[in-house]
Amino acid sequence: MTEKKTPQLDELEKGQWPSFVTEIKKAAATNAASEDLLHLLERSYEDRIGHWKHGGIVGVRGYGGGVIGRYTDLPEEYPNLAEFHTIRLAQPAGWFYDSKALRSICDIWEKHGSGLTNFHGSTGDIIMLGTTTDHIQPAFDEFSEAGFDLGGSGSDLRSPSCCVGPARCEYACYDTLEACHNITNEYQDEIHRPMWPYKFKIKFSGCANDCTASIARSDCSVIGTWRDTIQIDQDAVKQYAADGLDIQDRVCDKCPTRCLKFNSETKELTVIGEDCTRCMHCINYMPKAIRAGKVKGATILFGGKSTIVQSAFMSWVIVPFMKMESEDDFAEFKDLMGRVWEWWDENGKTRERIGETIYRLGMGKFLRECELPPVPQMVFRPRANPYVFWPQDEIIK
Amino acid sequence: MDKGAANPEIKDKVVAYLHTVQKAKSKDIATAIGEKKSAVDLAVKELTAEDICEYLYITTTYICIKGKVGAPE
Repeated sequence: MTEKKTPQLDELEKGQWPSFVTEIKKAAATNAASEDLLHLLERSYEDRIGHWKHGGIVGVRGYGGGVIGRYTDLPEEYPNLAEFHTIRLAQPAGWFYDSKALRSICDIWEKHGSGLTNFHGSTGDIIMLGTTTDHIQPAFDEFSEAGFDLGGSGSDLRSPSCCVGPARCEYACYDTLEACHNITNEYQDEIHRPMWPYKFKIKFSGCANDCTASIARSDCSVIGTWRDTIQIDQDAVKQYAADGLDIQDRVCDKCPTRCLKFNSETKELTVIGEDCTRCMHCINYMPKAIRAGKVKGATILFGGKSTIVQSAFMSWVIVPFMKMESEDDFAEFKDLMGRVWEWWDENGKTRERIGETIYRLGMGKFLRECELPPVPQMVFRPRANPYVFWPQDEIIK
Repeated sequence: MDKGAANPEIKDKVVAYLHTVQKAKSKDIATAIGEKKSAVDLAVKELTAEDICEYLYITTTYICIKGKVGAPE
């Protein structure tokens, strides 16, 4: 490594947390691109501007996604970063690996790339940082041999991702891992061959705690819920009260719809089932006493995204409840996706996410043309979200 | 995306159109050649596998004749 100073980056090594600067310095000991990366980043902090441009090449033969072309705008000064492309690998559902798989990924990347990785990117993919154009196809071939495939990028279906679900979490209302795996396998063409106005993300969360933050970060959020009423174990409620939990203050008063009633004399908790919005607050507070209902499935929402053409959107409820257990249930989900994608592909402008298309053309048009019935769960409260209008030809004047 | 083989005539029309422009979205290609977009998507899938066309990312994904568009300026 050369003796060029990186005083601003060095500041980021201080403190108790792991530092990406430390990791890049380790890689720089054996990799010239990583060393240049360190100095380019210091330069960016000095100039207060990113010295990167991206775009151009996007894949290996037959693929339209999975590789993000990256180039520095200072190739004469940082020749090892003239090409520093990113490769995205599709993650296994729930991010479960054995050490052999991780070693094989790292070995391939040290051979063909900078050795720097990011586990995981915000879409959930394994991110391999920094390789040259000549190494893209050989790296892909070796990753394929090791059992990995490219993830999504560009205007395609991004790699679906899920929370850890029933593998480790008792709150999961459906098998998020199975759903994610099934949907990923079904839509290989949509992941690898970008054909839409812009990107599309699907995230699976097992309950309304929404550990994948799907409601804010995905065009289609699949959030676990239940159709009947929460199950309450009154003995466990009494135990929570005896242990000093202020159930009225901490649980009932924080319930968004005030559907829980606590009798301080009998120490019994009751629920008005039809008022419950299944937000998970009471379950999070009293997991030994309150459980989800018995009829479990998922709510399907559309439209979440960050700021692009319009400001950031949270997803809207489109299907309040759908079973997510069997292949037939997944078939229903896929049928819905087919209709929604066809509508967006037909109506969306270039670089317009589906939420923005719905916002521009109206929820009523979206629902009618995708053959989706308007339902009360689509509105926050009566008269609060007046975006569902009667079509002119249905109004009796 | 539709399954099955692409229509060879539509593949020829896609290639002919792409020779007249630098890059295009598949929706624009479908409009320009007067074919269904799903059929164009299928044709593009085969053309990229045959190394005749390639995908290109410039703020969104486009399709172009392979090698026609270089790295970003």
